[in-house]
Amino acid sequence: MKINKKIINKIEGEATLKIYEEKDIIDFVEIEFWQYRGIEKYLQNRHYMDALVINPRVCGICGHSHLLATAKAIENAFGAKITQKAKILREITTGLEIIQNHIKWFYITLFPTQIKDRSFTLKALRLSSFISKIIALISGQFPHNSYIIPGGVTCDLTNLEIFKLEDMLKMLMDEIQAVIDKDGNSRDLEKFFENLPKNIGKSLNRFLVLGDNLFFSKNGKTEKIKEEKTTSLYSNVLYEDKFYEVGPLARNINNSLVKKIYEKYEDSIYTRIFARLYEINLIIEYLLENIKNIDVCEPSYIKPVVNNASGISVIEAPRGSLIHKVEIKDEKIKSYEIIVPTQFNLSNGTKENPSAAQAALMSERKEYLDTIFKCFDICAVCVTH
Amino acid sequence: MSKEEKKEQIMKTALSLFAKQGFYSTTIADIAREMGMSVGNMYNYFPSKESLAKELLIYTSKKFGDEIRKINEMDISSKEKIKKIVELYFKKAVEEPELVDYFMRVYLSNKEIFNNGCEGMLCVSAFVTEIMIFFEEGVRKKELKNQDFFAAFGLFMGYIGGLAFLNRENILGKPLEEYIEPVSENIYNALKA
Amino acid sequence: MRLKPKIIWIDGVGCNGCSHSFFNYPEISSFFENFELLYHPLLDSDEFNVQNCDILIIEGALKSNFSRLGKDLNSLISELFLKAKKIIALGTCAVYGGIFGKGLVFDKNEKGKFYKCRDRVINIPGCPSHPEWIMYVLNMIKNDKKIALDEFNRPVEIFSYTSHMGCTRNEYFEWKIDAQDFGSKEGCLFYYQGCQGPFTHSSCNKILWNEVNSKPRAGTPCFGCTEVSFPKKDLFKTETFMGIPANIPLGVSKRAYLTISGIAKSLTNERLTKKLIECENEDKQKDN
Repeated sequence: MKINKKIINKIEGEATLKIYEEKDIIDFVEIEFWQYRGIEKYLQNRHYMDALVINPRVCGICGHSHLLATAKAIENAFGAKITQKAKILREITTGLEIIQNHIKWFYITLFPTQIKDRSFTLKALRLSSFISKIIALISGQFPHNSYIIPGGVTCDLTNLEIFKLEDMLKMLMDEIQAVIDKDGNSRDLEKFFENLPKNIGKSLNRFLVLGDNLFFSKNGKTEKIKEEKTTSLYSNVLYEDKFYEVGPLARNINNSLVKKIYEKYEDSIYTRIFARLYEINLIIEYLLENIKNIDVCEPSYIKPVVNNASGISVIEAPRGSLIHKVEIKDEKIKSYEIIVPTQFNLSNGTKENPSAAQAALMSERKEYLDTIFKCFDICAVCVTH
Repeated sequence: MSKEEKKEQIMKTALSLFAKQGFYSTTIADIAREMGMSVGNMYNYFPSKESLAKELLIYTSKKFGDEIRKINEMDISSKEKIKKIVELYFKKAVEEPELVDYFMRVYLSNKEIFNNGCEGMLCVSAFVTEIMIFFEEGVRKKELKNQDFFAAFGLFMGYIGGLAFLNRENILGKPLEEYIEPVSENIYNALKA
Repeated sequence: MRLKPKIIWIDGVGCNGCSHSFFNYPEISSFFENFELLYHPLLDSDEFNVQNCDILIIEGALKSNFSRLGKDLNSLISELFLKAKKIIALGTCAVYGGIFGKGLVFDKNEKGKFYKCRDRVINIPGCPSHPEWIMYVLNMIKNDKKIALDEFNRPVEIFSYTSHMGCTRNEYFEWKIDAQDFGSKEGCLFYYQGCQGPFTHSSCNKILWNEVNSKPRAGTPCFGCTEVSFPKKDLFKTETFMGIPANIPLGVSKRAYLTISGIAKSLTNERLTKKLIECENEDKQKDN
């Protein structure tokens, strides 16, 4: 058996893989992350509101989800309430962040593992910059705004912006049809699979959804999560002592179209990629339904009552369940803990008990390693928070 | 004599008349007589009694402000500055009691006269700005406690204004100067970090 | 410079936010037409190689014992410095250190590891930096134009503005009408919410973000993310000494600022003390 070390980059950072292989067939892969940044420690003794500025900086592509998780963890600690208007606006901006993530992941991260053609990159950037613009219209800017705060949002939109937002969402829906349409047809997806088998990369077949933002529903309890140390600078995450797959496939598996593909290809790379792409349509549709319920006369913000308490939040971020925990004393952060989706999917388990990404790679040909690995949509900067 | 100097003289005269016979019963004619000027000529300097009252306020505020600015620019501790400000105020109260009188009896108790053009801090801004700078620098140097501006301002000005008033009413047991030391000490103790 | 300057783009310790911000440049295809990207941390490129380049872009901070592309980050950057004609320190992490580590030319207010090479370095701070700032600098280099820099090696054409300039809340600032709380389009965020706009160098409110908005316009204070102090403590609070803001607008003496503020506060702008738009709930409208 040969053992090879390989650095995988362009995954919002990099991961080191130790590949055990026999005649170009992957036997097992160990996963390592060597870039620790120490955000949780950085937050200690700061005012709890500072976390709304620091935490988005965990990640340049999904920082807005970290913002939402931060505000919700603090709200959980204070027992704060928000208005329906604030809730819908939050859903629009975080939902759109998921979409820009998926677009960039598909065309910029995943596509080049099979097809090298800059026009796909440009297609993604054109779309994602338009999506960022919609987010910014509400939140001030993207990336790295802090408009979600405990008790609501900082912005105070007029009907003029709400109608413009609706028009922009409709336009986005039209444009997305050229990526994947409402019936799940996608020329680009089929092109990606021209020389790639659809049924490789089958994984654990165990799915976990812990957040219930947007239209997602939970299938598990956050209390059952456990973290354990790895040999490199991050922690494994287990649910009831087992590894699970989180993310778009997990949370959309009951959608009829996704289910149909799942029944045919199981939890292969094709199903996983399809679920992620198709989710874009589902999110825009959901946002278009909900934007109609915004009443601009509702308050944007309800001042919460500050107290000494701990709070937890779980949301579905672009890559799956994201958990934030905060402990607040005298308005200061006593401790902060973040568990990111990539920690679930890319835990470093054993050959007998592998994580989702490890399981997907086992027994596959080495030439598919990059594609199978990246189909989990890895966020290295999030792991190394 | 320049026009400015003349104006200053008129204001000083007005000040002593206001203090002696009250603001309302003092007329422009009274002031003109005291100055040995014609009423018509008076109007060249001040178009009305209200405008004179207003300019008087700006003038005294600026004079006071200029003095406190000198103290602000000294390289001494906040504690020493407090004493210098108290000293300055009490000295003025003794030497020019009509000034303190004017401020307490006319400005503070007849605010309606100043509603047009002297709202809020407009006419006393020179003085208040210097007090702000004194407070801000004291906190910045960690010599004074960081607190609400008006809580500190009221304590400082209310206290020394009150003593000047009691002195004017001949209620104090001792000369006002003898209060400089204990009053400064009390103010410092109340404001220190 | 050459027809198509060669760029190596490297990420130190950061979040890749400057790359993602750059991706929002609306005319991004012109970037690919005018520059040759030898390496980028996210975009597809050839395998990474230490090689000569015209422009080295570094986003993210320096940190010891941090591995990048199989090398120690600090030595990787040192090697690349030798091979590059011009270096762009992109984002607050690369410029001053930011949240995660040390900057190239500056380590907060101290001299940084590459202070001696500062003549070749252009600093574009911001968390993230604005896509138009990056393109401006790249285009200036490509066209052999001299970029005037300030004392922090920041381009004057960008950083001579304050983020206050162009803010939709400027009238409230003028009349000292402070927002009492979050979530309203009325009121200035300078006095209570911690807005650093009047003393932060950046053109955010001039060119806007994503072409449409800015944080203060959306009710969020400016956090001063282009400055060495970012991120200061208590970001949503204005530091005051006895009620007087500890930091005042750039270029004015404290005495002058307090005088004009006192005057503005003493006067009332009736129009601005009210809500801009009186809102009637939809239910109420139906009842009528």
